[in-house]
Amino acid sequence: MFLALREFKHAKLRYFLVGLIMVLIAFLVLFVSGLAKGLSSDNASAIQKMNADYFVIQKEADNRLNRSLLSEDKLRDIEKFAASQSTAPLGIQMTTFTKKGSSKQIDATFFAANVNGVLAPDVVEGRMINNHTTNEVVADHSLKEDGLKLGGHIKDQFSGKTFKIVGFTKGESFSHAPVIHMNFKEWAAVHNLPADKQMLFNVAALKTSKDKAQLIEKKVPGVAVIDKSQALKGIPGYQEEQGSLMMMIAFLFVIAAFVLAVFFYVMTIQKINQFGVLKAIGAKTGYLARHIISQVLLITVISLVISIALTYGVAFVLPNSMPFDLTPPLVLGCSGMFLVVSVIGSLLSLYRVAKIDAIEAIGRAA
Amino acid sequence: MNHKLVLDHVSKVFGDGDSQIKVLNEVSLQINAGEFVAVVGPSGSGKSTFLSIAGALLSPSSGRIILDDIEINQLSGKKLNQIRLNKIGFVFQSSNLIPYLTVRDQLLLISELAGSRHKKAEQRADDLLERLGLSHRKNNYPESLSGGERQRVAIARACMNDPEIILADEPTASLDSERGRSVVQMLADEVKLREKAAIMVTHDKRMLDLCDRVVYIEDGRLTEVPKN
Ligand SMILES: Nc1ncnc2c1ncn2[C@@H]1O[C@H](COP(=O)(O)OP(=O)(O)OP(=O)(O)O)[C@@H](O)[C@H]1O
Ligand SMILES: [Mg+2]
Repeated sequence: MFLALREFKHAKLRYFLVGLIMVLIAFLVLFVSGLAKGLSSDNASAIQKMNADYFVIQKEADNRLNRSLLSEDKLRDIEKFAASQSTAPLGIQMTTFTKKGSSKQIDATFFAANVNGVLAPDVVEGRMINNHTTNEVVADHSLKEDGLKLGGHIKDQFSGKTFKIVGFTKGESFSHAPVIHMNFKEWAAVHNLPADKQMLFNVAALKTSKDKAQLIEKKVPGVAVIDKSQALKGIPGYQEEQGSLMMMIAFLFVIAAFVLAVFFYVMTIQKINQFGVLKAIGAKTGYLARHIISQVLLITVISLVISIALTYGVAFVLPNSMPFDLTPPLVLGCSGMFLVVSVIGSLLSLYRVAKIDAIEAIGRAA
Repeated sequence: MNHKLVLDHVSKVFGDGDSQIKVLNEVSLQINAGEFVAVVGPSGSGKSTFLSIAGALLSPSSGRIILDDIEINQLSGKKLNQIRLNKIGFVFQSSNLIPYLTVRDQLLLISELAGSRHKKAEQRADDLLERLGLSHRKNNYPESLSGGERQRVAIARACMNDPEIILADEPTASLDSERGRSVVQMLADEVKLREKAAIMVTHDKRMLDLCDRVVYIEDGRLTEVPKN
């Protein structure tokens, strides 16, 4: 630190500039991370929040929840291996509806579940529906931006059924569409299932151990059991969206490592003679290594603090409809990554410094 | 024994195979406390090599080096570092000060490296600067000092760790003779005052009268020049 701080003070501009680059990169990392997180929950918060560990899905469905189809018989089979309280059938239907008295079409996803079971959403406004109603639903409150109100009516485009909104949930979306929760009676009506025939749904959510899940997969024919993250990847567009953002973040980390590596390497090369002098007067390689690492870490930490403040500042002025979600764990994770990356970036310089010989300090005849 | 430094049949060979050059050939020298020795010789004769070996910067091909009763020719690199830090002070040819440290910090760096930074070190640094007439330049960076002032700072830095021996490689090369002389005078005074030893490589014959002994290196051989 003795050397690090004094060198900063003496060569302010140089270190300011590299710090500025780091601030910009860190800002971009944080911003894109926040966006990735925001988009991910905007896309699939209904699955992310779901109180379930695994999903039983039709084997041929290729991990896509909305492609799978399970019958009531299958559910009986599954329940042989997992208690029925921990098995919850779920119907998923992407749809389009119109608000009563308007012809504007709005996208949504119907979720059908036992509203007394584990999959029941939390209602933040109005009241919950029960399992017997035939024309009441609860909707995600983002639909309010489309003009939906408590007590308002919506008309499903495919079935022509009309429902009344009796409550609003928060943060429930699937495939970027707000989720509308209903019971199985209404679900049967939407799908025109006759009352005497078997009930059909897409998947069964499981809240159980890994062993049980594997057992079900083995014993019940025609089904696969996938965990939550596999289910998320199966949501249309989820993986592509997250994948490209993750790639950007990864590249930004690589760029940060290179910027630091190149900057400090050039600085080190310039200072070879100086390091030779320091070694000649008794500085150990370890001391010089600490000198460089403390400089790298100082620059990184200061840049991080500034960019975190900057990111939160920008997030504050962003419009609410922008999916941006920067949680403290995410910030900590990114910052930790950044510190690791910056130390990696300084390794080249450390290697160079370790190789410097004290003899370089003395004027040689050559 | 009051020999500060003993070089006993030291040889140094550079290169290998056909291109071998023997820069030092079995040279021996003993230096006592309070002695200031000048090393002279033609360019390329091995003066810097000699000084580097005496200063534990370079290891000899053969022979023994005993500094303050410690045989240093078989110590590890880490130990040599320690020896340089605690027992040897260097004054290099041209300003080998750290550009981003003020004059005072140049000296404090030494105690920082030795892990003994405290009030005493600061007191010592101030005393040294006072004695070398640099008090008013304490907070200046090397870039704003004259050549002579820089060399005086280098001498102060070399004295900072209270070394047993000071090694100087052409400390006056970048100075005019008057300033050079005053720098060498200061070096000589330090040696006498503290009963240390010093070796100075120089090209400048006019400095020799300030030294106690003069040795001459040529063709790898070292001969003592009798003082008139
Ligand atoms: N690392 C090295 N490898 C090979 N040869 C070397 C090396 N260092 C020095 N030499 C050779 O050793 C000889 C003595 O060099 P040295 O630097 O000791 O001379 P010098 O007496 O200090 O000369 P000058 O008065 O010009 O500074 C020279 O011929 C030089 O080329
Ligand atoms: Mg030389």
